[in-house]
Amino acid sequence: MMKAGFLRDLFFAAVVLIVLIVVPFIFTKPSLRDFLIYVMAYGLLAMSLNLLVGLTGLVSFGHAAFFVSGAYMFGLLMQSGRVSIPVAILITVCGTAVLAMVIGAICVRLKEIYFSFITLAFQMFIHSIILTWVSLTGGDQGLRGGIPRPPFFGIDLSSGASLYIFSACIFVACILIMRQVWQSPFGYTLRLIRDNPNRANYLGVDIVRMKLGVFILAGAMASVAGVLLSLFVSGAYPEFGFWTTSGEAIFMIMLGGSQLFVGPIIGAILLRLLEHFVSIYTEYHGLVLGVVILAIVLGLRQGIADYVVDFLQRRREAKAAPAKEAAFVKKRIA
Amino acid sequence: MTKTTKGISRRRVLKGAGAMAGLAAIGAPHIAGAQAKVIKIGLPTILSGRVAILGTSSRFAVQLAFNQINEAGGINGRKFEVVDRDSKGRPDEAAKVTRDLINNDGCDIIIDGEASSGSFAVHEVVRDLGILCLHTCSETSSLTADPKLFSKNVFRCARQGIHDAVAGGSYAAKIAKEKGLKKWATCSPDYAYGRDNTAEFLQYAKMFEPSIEVVDQLWPKLFAPDYTESITKLMQVKPQAVYSALWGGDLVAFIEQSNLYRLFQNTAYFSGGLGDPPILTAIKNLPQGLNTAYRYNNGFPGSPENTAFCDAYVKVAPHEPTNWAWQNYAASQFIIEALRRTNGNTDSSALAKEISGMTVKKPFGGAGITMRDSDHTIINYPVAWGKTVSKSPWVLDYVDTEWSKIIELEKEWKKEKGYA
Repeated sequence: MMKAGFLRDLFFAAVVLIVLIVVPFIFTKPSLRDFLIYVMAYGLLAMSLNLLVGLTGLVSFGHAAFFVSGAYMFGLLMQSGRVSIPVAILITVCGTAVLAMVIGAICVRLKEIYFSFITLAFQMFIHSIILTWVSLTGGDQGLRGGIPRPPFFGIDLSSGASLYIFSACIFVACILIMRQVWQSPFGYTLRLIRDNPNRANYLGVDIVRMKLGVFILAGAMASVAGVLLSLFVSGAYPEFGFWTTSGEAIFMIMLGGSQLFVGPIIGAILLRLLEHFVSIYTEYHGLVLGVVILAIVLGLRQGIADYVVDFLQRRREAKAAPAKEAAFVKKRIA
Repeated sequence: MTKTTKGISRRRVLKGAGAMAGLAAIGAPHIAGAQAKVIKIGLPTILSGRVAILGTSSRFAVQLAFNQINEAGGINGRKFEVVDRDSKGRPDEAAKVTRDLINNDGCDIIIDGEASSGSFAVHEVVRDLGILCLHTCSETSSLTADPKLFSKNVFRCARQGIHDAVAGGSYAAKIAKEKGLKKWATCSPDYAYGRDNTAEFLQYAKMFEPSIEVVDQLWPKLFAPDYTESITKLMQVKPQAVYSALWGGDLVAFIEQSNLYRLFQNTAYFSGGLGDPPILTAIKNLPQGLNTAYRYNNGFPGSPENTAFCDAYVKVAPHEPTNWAWQNYAASQFIIEALRRTNGNTDSSALAKEISGMTVKKPFGGAGITMRDSDHTIINYPVAWGKTVSKSPWVLDYVDTEWSKIIELEKEWKKEKGYA
């Protein structure tokens, strides 16, 4: 059963990857490629946060801490000139996982708003370190001088097309990993913890350990998003770790939906599309975005993807109801 | 009988493809309406948030410069179009909108109206894409002083920290000597710019007047609304002079709160950021005799070119030019002159070759502002310090510093930093 599910996910991942790779060859504007890389980085951030918010019920206000950690660790490693890109990514992911373990060991013991605020406190602590450790991080000016992209295995990320394909592969691989977690027994245990922690406890689930596990995974995935963005902008900046970045990721989840697996990506696409088009025509984009988000939140009372899924489900049930009733009557008559 | 399928129908796929094509088409609204001969100037800047007034002043200045040349018939028959984008003050957004301006809107030249880290993000994009760019707002010296960041098609048309530090230190030392101001304190925002700017100012003030002694240094948080704690501490320490790197709304709040405590009655005040007209006019009771660096003034330099610039600017903008405004206007003049020399050819290398070492007379007249070819940054711009008065023109008695002195000390500074 699990194997069949995995093969289906693998098939979908391959289709998505092919579509992502083919689209820029049909619509050849480099700006579309740029837009997609940007969406992939922020989409990955939102997806990783949704492992905490949607799956486990842990609303983290400080998830950008791992996003910024990924960007800086990777940028500093590449600027040192001692490692190749894959090794730098590996060290970054492991390093951020350790950071997430340390922070998570304290945070996951708290619940609800206390959890949210302590994650925010840790994020602002990391943000302050970046601002004050000027000799290492460049302070508020960010990591200057660009991020070198030496070729590896014949791949040269200095070319826009190569960077795009590389980002698409990394993005799809991360989504596939998160999908496996979402569908695994571990994922269902996390849902149980979200819905009824006491029951989970009585069933013998080590809640703290489970929460810590998903916290580390979400942190590691957010660091990959940071790597993608740092490669795209060729730098790392303290703004990546400011509370507003975490806020944007939460917005994406709210906009797209937290219960459908791909909801946050849909939210990321919608938010970035809105921002892109609205800022072309007006600098009052904040007002326009606020009105749109307000309309969605008040009108639908859930994310767009969740609403669509629920709507289709209701329609299917409404269609099936008369047929079911007829079958039941027929059976009774017989 | 109708044919139904469980999967995605061909019609649905075609609809999707049509929608995507439509989306791609509306993604380039400016290109669709553009004429082939138009030269597009991209302007990523901050149009929303706390420093939006400076970003919009940059836009007014760039639009003014290119409207003037359009009205004069353009260059070799080619007219100009300015395409601006709001970066919201975020470096990643600055990088993205700059790429959009080049790749989507087809801009030939970038005027980077970003502050601080945003300019470094734009710098990497233009180095990557090889397009001509003039940074017009970042005052961080390393942007052009650090040879590792040098790019042959990138320039800075903005004042920079090291020039201001030498000019400010020299002016402060002169006043300190005249009035016997030995006990100094500082009150600057607690982030890299605030600390670096204060350290460099003190370094040169002490170099020119060794009797200066720093009795206390206060570091209020950036964007703090309340400065009474710092002001009370200053009242306790009783320095004879205070230097502050506060800027924008923070500076307005600090001066207004200091007025309540009458801090300036017995204490001389030196500020690097007070001399911008929107700041000066935002303070309800501007105290007389505060010392400030030149940011912009309609009466200094007292040249016909400056008067003409200010008069033209106030016709299109709701306020007098800002520091960012003159820098953007000057950058536009470098671009216009380079295009004149290349007969409208927008090739980055050809334009960069012309801009290196170029001098433009607008907006200040006199000997003009020169783009130094060795490090692609401007020199000979006004670096004067003056004293405030309570009504327009707000700052008088400007004292200029000789550029030969600034350049000499800048060379030593570059050696110290390992840039030369």
